[in-house]
Amino acid sequence: MEAYLIAILIVTAIYVLLSLGLTLQYGLTGLINFGHVGFFCIGAYAAAILSTAGSMPIAVGLVAGMLLAGLAAIPIGLVALRLRDDYFAIVTLGFSETVRLVITSEGWLTKGVQGIPGIPKLIDGVGTGPALMILALVGFANILAVIAFLRIVKSPFGRMIEAIRDNEDAVKALGKDPARFKIQVLVLGAVLAGLSGGFYAHYIGYVSPDQFLPIVTFYVWMAIIMGGVGRISGALVGTLLLMGFLEGSRFLRDLLPFISAVEMASIRIGAVGLALILFTIYRPQGLMGDYTRRK
Amino acid sequence: MTIDRRTILQAGASALALGLAPQGAFAQAEAYRIGALNPVTGAGSPYGSGMAEMIFAAVDEVNAAGGAAGRRLQVFADDTQTNPQSAVLAAKKLIEVNKVNAILGTWSSGVSLAVIPLVNDANILLMHTSGAPALSTPPANAKGYGYRFQATNDRFGRAFAEIAVKEGYKRPATMAFNNASGIGNTQGFKKAWEAKGNKVLAEVVYEPNQPSYRAELQKVLAARPDVIVMGSFLPDTTIILREAFQSGANVKWIIPGWAANPQLIRALGNEATEGVISVDSVANEQSASFARYDAAYRKGQSQPGASNVYAAMTYDMVITLALAIEAAGPGAGTAQINAKIREVANPAGDKVFSFAEGKTALAAGKKINYEGASSVLDFDEFGDVTPDFGVFFITKGQLERRYVVKI
Repeated sequence: MEAYLIAILIVTAIYVLLSLGLTLQYGLTGLINFGHVGFFCIGAYAAAILSTAGSMPIAVGLVAGMLLAGLAAIPIGLVALRLRDDYFAIVTLGFSETVRLVITSEGWLTKGVQGIPGIPKLIDGVGTGPALMILALVGFANILAVIAFLRIVKSPFGRMIEAIRDNEDAVKALGKDPARFKIQVLVLGAVLAGLSGGFYAHYIGYVSPDQFLPIVTFYVWMAIIMGGVGRISGALVGTLLLMGFLEGSRFLRDLLPFISAVEMASIRIGAVGLALILFTIYRPQGLMGDYTRRK
Repeated sequence: MTIDRRTILQAGASALALGLAPQGAFAQAEAYRIGALNPVTGAGSPYGSGMAEMIFAAVDEVNAAGGAAGRRLQVFADDTQTNPQSAVLAAKKLIEVNKVNAILGTWSSGVSLAVIPLVNDANILLMHTSGAPALSTPPANAKGYGYRFQATNDRFGRAFAEIAVKEGYKRPATMAFNNASGIGNTQGFKKAWEAKGNKVLAEVVYEPNQPSYRAELQKVLAARPDVIVMGSFLPDTTIILREAFQSGANVKWIIPGWAANPQLIRALGNEATEGVISVDSVANEQSASFARYDAAYRKGQSQPGASNVYAAMTYDMVITLALAIEAAGPGAGTAQINAKIREVANPAGDKVFSFAEGKTALAAGKKINYEGASSVLDFDEFGDVTPDFGVFFITKGQLERRYVVKI
């Protein structure tokens, strides 16, 4: 049981990194990024390729994944200068699908649809000890991300991006250039997603393009909406809640064996959907409240 | 009524007693726990629920025959969502929480590749239906605990090449669905075909879920092939064949059996499917085990058993595993049971077609060779089966088996 709980916590921690990135982009800056999984994918593949075919140390792959994901965000940021809200959302969605298709087609590098198996683990070994070490590592990355996040929020940069979210025209009227800040925020969020992807690849041990479908992006969206937009606690609680929904149904099956697997799959998705509806009706600001509640 | 501590204790105790009550004759030996890890949702969903259901059906059959080596089989089912990440967590849960002794029925190669390291770490068996060759050898199958009940995609491709030679085709082209299985088929064909000193005229890999495949089809037809070898699935094959028929192309087709099946004929009609060659591992359709499986499948899914070849495989997994448990005797661990799998499934033994039959023969001290519903189930040193391939020609809307190819 412990090993399973640790496994859930590791996956949760990996997702929290994604949620933090999106919180930075949407919660603080108001950028509707529907292509988060694209950056996650870039990080995962960079780590996978460098540590298998490239036989590089794991750390190199993780850093390379962060850098590449960050670089990939720059052109998207340039697009963001011209597009707002839903138009930007469509572009980012297209971006993540493009990333997936490029990886599918460039078989010489990515092994295409066959995927890359045998990605080394972060910490080798069997049993609870190594698993706890992995959790500690990913958790440490989370703590660093949270500290960075807090510093950003309290900095002039943080006030600026929140101003962009609240009233971009007013920001412009004050003589500030929102574009530069948007690009920076996109890059920061992408770097977090890239790191998350690297951890993911080393934890699951196998990557293939069909693991990076837009559903991953929307899971992260669900998490921050349920938790509370623009808050660290929201990203944490929301991601835990989401994993609770997704994983809890496995246990429900053991308790209610008369529910068939197909029904359970529908119930799982239905429960998440119902929760989202109830949240928007009764607690639109999310479980932890949104950024307006932040002190 | 007030609920006090005593009431709660009593309720708890009776609930416990219910849970612990011995079930039939199996009170003494610990149940053998099977994890049914199937693609109930996601890309494998057309097969997944049938696969899970046949695990339950086969387990019922084994338990009705008195269990294996005195142990009742118990199933814990979960959904991989045809997604490696979800499959990893599901497998962890089955291993850690349900303490399963074996995981049965993972479907896509990605899922099996992600699950097999966990299985090795936990020292339990994995029986899967995935095509990727990497699953046969170390590191994936380092301990030899992985068994493949499906022919590798590569073997399918080799069978296609044999058929193309036999039918006298000279100018083949290939079309593959862009996933590991689809490309595996056409790559396997290409390798075997070129090894015979021939050439493939055109190769197209197409993306799934398109409303039309006209552009891909035109590209292939431009090379003027006499036969198109497919690595495809039912929905895309339906569209491609319809569009080829509409364009009046004069070309023959070699298609895997899971795509060229009665549903395809029903969707397209007799004329458009005339002469299509459908290749499938010979489900042991004439065997008694297939009849048992078919009856169970019709009862559960109201469809013929032949419509879900993977369900036949999961059915066979349980029977094979139960026979190995029976042969290994009471109290055997994974290593002992693993050592018996080839003994109960491979030749040089009396052919048996059900668990009960095998159990009786084992009790009489005989060697047995379980002939499955999905194939004759003889495992090589990598834990792979090499089934024979049935070559079916679609004539007047009927799948007609003309001959069998051995590779």
